[in-house]
Amino acid sequence: MAYEFRLLETGFHSAAFNMGLDEALLRSVAEGNSLPTLRFYGWTPAAVSIGYFQGLEEEVDSAACRAAGIDVVRRITGGGAVFHHHEVTYSIILPLGHPLARRNILESYRLLLGGIVEGLSLLGITAEFAPINDIVTGGKKISGNAQTRKLGCILQHGTIILDVDVDQMFTVLRVPQEKARGKLIEDIKSRVTSVKLCMPQGELTSFESLFALTTQSLKQGCVRALDLVFNSSSPTESELQLAEQLAREKFASETWTALR
Amino acid sequence: MPRRPGVPLSTGAHMRLELIGKPEGCKLLRMTIDVEPLLSPSSRILFLSIRGDFFAIPEEAFDEIEEALAGTTLGELGKKFDGLVEQKRLECAGITGHGLDEIVQKELHNGV
Repeated sequence: MAYEFRLLETGFHSAAFNMGLDEALLRSVAEGNSLPTLRFYGWTPAAVSIGYFQGLEEEVDSAACRAAGIDVVRRITGGGAVFHHHEVTYSIILPLGHPLARRNILESYRLLLGGIVEGLSLLGITAEFAPINDIVTGGKKISGNAQTRKLGCILQHGTIILDVDVDQMFTVLRVPQEKARGKLIEDIKSRVTSVKLCMPQGELTSFESLFALTTQSLKQGCVRALDLVFNSSSPTESELQLAEQLAREKFASETWTALR
Repeated sequence: MPRRPGVPLSTGAHMRLELIGKPEGCKLLRMTIDVEPLLSPSSRILFLSIRGDFFAIPEEAFDEIEEALAGTTLGELGKKFDGLVEQKRLECAGITGHGLDEIVQKELHNGV
C-alpha cells in the first residue's frame, strides 16, 4: 500500500523563512491540517545553519557572514553547522503514528534516508547510510541530515551536496581550536564530495540543471524506497503566514540565533 | 575572545573550565563548567553548558538536564547525566555520560 504524501517544491528563500516554513509545516501536519509532507528547497542568499545545541560564536564567524551577505540561522534540530550554498535541501514531516515513523532515532534515519540513497542511485551514485546522520559515497559524505520530534511528529531535514567549495565554507565556519586550519580544510576536502563530482557528466552540468535533476531523482527515490505517492501542492496560506511570522519573530531574532 | 579549552579562570568563588573533546561514540562536545576551586573529582559543579553537534530529543528537556546537573560533583557528572536522560526519557545520539566523563577526566588527569 502506497503512502500519500504532499509534495512541495518551494524554491529558494532566506534562511529564516526556510526554517520558519519547516516549523510551520510541522505544526500543520501535527494539527491534522495537512498530509505528511515532503518538501524540496534551496537557499538565497547562501546561509549557515547551526544545530540547536551548538554555540553560535564557536561555530560561525558572524562578522564574516555579515560582510559576505550570508544568512545565519539556528535550526530546531540538532546536528552540526552547515554551509548552504550549492545543494538541494529537503524536509520530511510525518506523524509519529505513521507506518514510516520509527521511535528509535537511528532506525528512523536509516528508513527515511532510504529514499535519498535510492534517489542518488538514480543519478548513478552508489551511496549508503553512515550513522548517525550522514550519507556517504565512496567513503565521502554527500548528504548530512538532522531530525527532531515535536508535537507528535517527526521532522527530518537534510542537504544533498551538489557542489562544494571547502575554502569558501571555511571563510564563515570556525575551525575547532585543536585542529590547525590548513589540516582541517585538507581533511574536509578528502572526506566530502558532491553530486557534481560523482554523477556521470556532473562536471559539465550547470547548477540549475543539477538542482532540477537531483530533485527529480530524489522524488523518484522516495517513491521507490518509501512507497510514497505524491499529491503535488503548495503551502497553504495559513502555513505561509505562520512561516513568515516564525521567520520574523523567531528564526531571524538574535535571541534565538545566539541561544547558545 | 574565546578562551583556550581547558584553561580555568579562577574568580575566587569559582573556577571556569572550557573543555572540548570527541570521545569515542560521541560527536564533538564542548562544555563550559563553573566549579568550586581546588579542582578534583569532588569539586561541585555550579554551572554547566554543553554544546555540540549531537542530538537530544526533546531538545527542551536537555536544557532542563543542564540546569539539573548544577550541584553535581565532577566525578559524578556522567552517571548523573545518564540518570537524568533516562528519567526525562530523552533520546540521545552522539552524546553519553561516559563521553562527558572522559572529557572531564582528561582535564582532571592533566592536573589543572
